[in-house]
Amino acid sequence: MPFINFFLLLIAYLFSGYGILNMVRIQLDKTYTITLSLLLGVAVASFIPFLLQLFYITLTDVSIFISIAVTTLLLSIPTGLRIRKEGISAALKPIIPGTIRIQACEIPFILVIGFLVFISVWRCYDLPPTSRDVLSGPEAIAEVAVREHTMVNSFFSIDLWSTNNQFKSPYLISLQLIYKLAGFPFGQIWLSIVFVSFLLFLYHAMREKLHPIIAGILLLMFIMTPEAYAYTFMILYDYSNMVFFCTSLYFLFGFLRGKPDSWSYLSGILMGIATYIRSETLVLAFLFLPLCLFIQWRNGSLKKSLVRDAAYYVPSLIGYYLPTQLWIKHYLPVHYDMGSLVNTHPSDLGPLFQRYHDIVTRLLASEFAIHLWGYIFFATFFLFIAELVFVRSFTKEARNWLYAIVVLYLGLGFLGFILPLMNLDETTKRSMFKLLPVVVLYLSNNQLLTRLSGWITRWEATPMGKPALAGADAKGGGGSKTGVLSSKSVLTKSGKTVAAPSAGQKSPNPRKGKGK
Amino acid sequence: MKGVILTAVSILCVFGILNLGYYQDWFVARPETYWNEFQKQKDEGDDLVARRTERYGVAYTISMKIMAAIQRKNLAHPVVLFEPNSYYRDSLHIYDKLRAPEPAVFYYYTGIEGVWTNSPNVAKANFFVRISKKGVMLDEIKSPQQLQQILAFYKRYPPIL
Repeated sequence: MPFINFFLLLIAYLFSGYGILNMVRIQLDKTYTITLSLLLGVAVASFIPFLLQLFYITLTDVSIFISIAVTTLLLSIPTGLRIRKEGISAALKPIIPGTIRIQACEIPFILVIGFLVFISVWRCYDLPPTSRDVLSGPEAIAEVAVREHTMVNSFFSIDLWSTNNQFKSPYLISLQLIYKLAGFPFGQIWLSIVFVSFLLFLYHAMREKLHPIIAGILLLMFIMTPEAYAYTFMILYDYSNMVFFCTSLYFLFGFLRGKPDSWSYLSGILMGIATYIRSETLVLAFLFLPLCLFIQWRNGSLKKSLVRDAAYYVPSLIGYYLPTQLWIKHYLPVHYDMGSLVNTHPSDLGPLFQRYHDIVTRLLASEFAIHLWGYIFFATFFLFIAELVFVRSFTKEARNWLYAIVVLYLGLGFLGFILPLMNLDETTKRSMFKLLPVVVLYLSNNQLLTRLSGWITRWEATPMGKPALAGADAKGGGGSKTGVLSSKSVLTKSGKTVAAPSAGQKSPNPRKGKGK
Repeated sequence: MKGVILTAVSILCVFGILNLGYYQDWFVARPETYWNEFQKQKDEGDDLVARRTERYGVAYTISMKIMAAIQRKNLAHPVVLFEPNSYYRDSLHIYDKLRAPEPAVFYYYTGIEGVWTNSPNVAKANFFVRISKKGVMLDEIKSPQQLQQILAFYKRYPPIL
């Protein structure tokens, strides 16, 4: 029975998430649509018990699952309209999985990554949550809520002197409650949906630019970051926060590159969810405003973009207001003096610079850092320097991701300074999960890697015995319109343009960017 | 043929990463160990208590024993007072092996209210858990004077996690 519930919930997520994508009128290819729909669906579900609680509705299996069903139906109205317009098969085509084409060279990566995913999913399902931050807060509240049918329950009447975890976002409480009521005694399994969806999303994003071998290496290094991997089967806020933050940036940067407004709307929604999960994300969200304004000013569209830029932050402000202001101040029976958490000596900048120093020396470039992240940051640094020295330019997309890296470094240091409770070895460390997909997406735009991808792809396309082809995109390297992705024509060493594989021939090229 | 070469390169890359420095140590210590645990767990069935006991360790076992003992006494509102963990650290030197659960986690494990010596609700305590090198003991607190004596004894030891 729990597994039937699991699949019913999965279908509800798929349709509610797809409904949101249709609402913002964004059209993406299958992989993006399915993975984003599931991620958005999980986020929608995480609001439902919370909203029921806000309206003082008793939290039972009936009230929660009916609410999920009704929400799915309501969010599917845009999909329904699309079905009326385009017909059912055309409208639902983006969420019906099609044929999966796998190249032989992807199989070794799939096997190892599949093994790691399997282990993660199994532990998520089979073992109880263990993190102290969860047991002394959201998990305990959810467990008691199953018995008492309310999130404001007897947990708040006990001695909570040693913890402040009861004040954290209802995101975890809601999802734990849903899955406990669905028959999973430890909840948690929702995290596997987030994890697997994001892995597919990330790999798909990388494959737009990179050859499968290079994308496989990067994905393997991403999944093999010891610290982040542990949080794929131990529920906490940071992994989910990373996922929604990174997907938000993906669409924000797409919008800044000239994609339609719908990309900005979707990015705003995703950033709002990330802020709902961890409220301090709001600060990071606003640090992207200068980049948006600068690009819009350079494009001459600043004036007409201002309203849209303001609208971008509305979901984030709601995502901040609901858990920190409304929930804590007006619903919880215990007082939380958030003012006391703020640094009372902000003019003393010593600790700020100390925090920046500590982030580098302890969390990024030490033996401890290798134990946390493996070698992914070292590889990124090496490839960044190599690009700087040998290519001496960065693509626009790479610049955006580099900007995101700087924002995260400066923003997380600042947050640790202004909120001393954000200690280095725990909170800041976990906040740095967000850096992982960001560096991976920067590396997807690193011109040395895109050129190498292009070279492998062209070598693959030429018959055996002929020399490997010179880089057709020697200047740009990795633009999605040139080099790696172009199958129209390639430049030989002699300078001649030769035909690429014909339409009928199996193309070894990475998939084209399908996001419209 | 080129596909075969690229597949061989992929295998080499995967092999190289899995054997690279700390990745190798991590892979053996974590995913491989988890795989071995999976092989055992898959045959163990749905014993939730066993899984919790294995995962939460001694603190959970102690909590469950306390719960069972209190349930036998059939008291309406049991409130359990724990010794401060700094006492285990500084006096008994068993902190590395054993520590009392914090009240929030104890409530999650058992549904019974627990308090520390500095808790505002400490006056409600009617049970007292003592841990020594010999074992765990659960005493009933029968009078406010007895409670004050206990609190006076642990005054030097502030509650810590």
